[in-house]
Amino acid sequence: MLKVNDKELNFTGSIKELLDYLKLNQSSCAVLVNGEIIKRKDWEKYLLKNDDYVEIVSFVGGG
Amino acid sequence: MFTIGGKTLKSRLFVGTGKLPDYTLISKMYYEAKVEVFTVAVRRIGLNTKHEKSVLEFIPKEAVIMVNTSGATNYKEAIKIAQIGRELTSSDWVKVEIEKDTKYLFPDNYETLKACEILVKEGFKVFPYIYPDLTIAKELEQIGVTAVMPLAAPIGTNKGIGCEVLLKPIIAEVEIPVIIDAGIGRPSHAAQAMELGADAVLINTAIATAKDPLVMALAFSKAVEAGRLAYEIGLLKEYEYAQASSPLDDFIKG
Repeated sequence: MLKVNDKELNFTGSIKELLDYLKLNQSSCAVLVNGEIIKRKDWEKYLLKNDDYVEIVSFVGGG
Repeated sequence: MFTIGGKTLKSRLFVGTGKLPDYTLISKMYYEAKVEVFTVAVRRIGLNTKHEKSVLEFIPKEAVIMVNTSGATNYKEAIKIAQIGRELTSSDWVKVEIEKDTKYLFPDNYETLKACEILVKEGFKVFPYIYPDLTIAKELEQIGVTAVMPLAAPIGTNKGIGCEVLLKPIIAEVEIPVIIDAGIGRPSHAAQAMELGADAVLINTAIATAKDPLVMALAFSKAVEAGRLAYEIGLLKEYEYAQASSPLDDFIKG
């Protein structure tokens, strides 16, 4: 089980595959795994492991 | 024109994009109210909601993006948000905002100083949002932040310059730019900040929640310009008693 933005998700594969699966706009998001930022260029080769804590973030209006 | 963080800007009005009813207002503010600096925040994506465009797609390419670390409660979280911001925007301007209390949203100057020390070393242009404290402002200047951003009043309160006696020494004593941030609710408050000698103001709620944010941005833009002009030419001193403006002799004897 992965934890993605606090939701449990049964998924195996790379970060890129996870984002495809979630149908996210990849140009505007950043990904952290277990608190570490994973650079975009590494998304394809970075394989997610069981129990990884994934956070997907984007920009919103803010002061 | 003034130079800050390696950019030469015409406008001393910085605008926060939180609470905007419509992100297309951002380019209108850029082109019509001549706002050049916009702040944005980082949040987790809701996985089940329909994905709307990111606010970044609405900011004109020529504008300057300042990433706000709001939501951070300690220096480590702030640093992470700053790094995410640079990764996604390629802008190295970061507003360091760290709060532990949600009632007043007062910045935590201690955590802010720690975050700034690291972010300056990592090459960011650092703009700390601070409680108006001269000691901390000077320490921040020492470690190399780009500007300090003391608050006028708690975020979103529209109360205006609530602590002039604390802001004035900061403006007088630090060499780096001072940007008055938070709590400014009316154009007259912004003009007052500029008359005091602030280098810029950052406005969010007062513009974003106005009936027409673009019109309010225009009003703020004029106020900021007016206050700055008056500061540059020098404000006059106050007198206790009337000083006649018409000559006091050669009156008509009726």
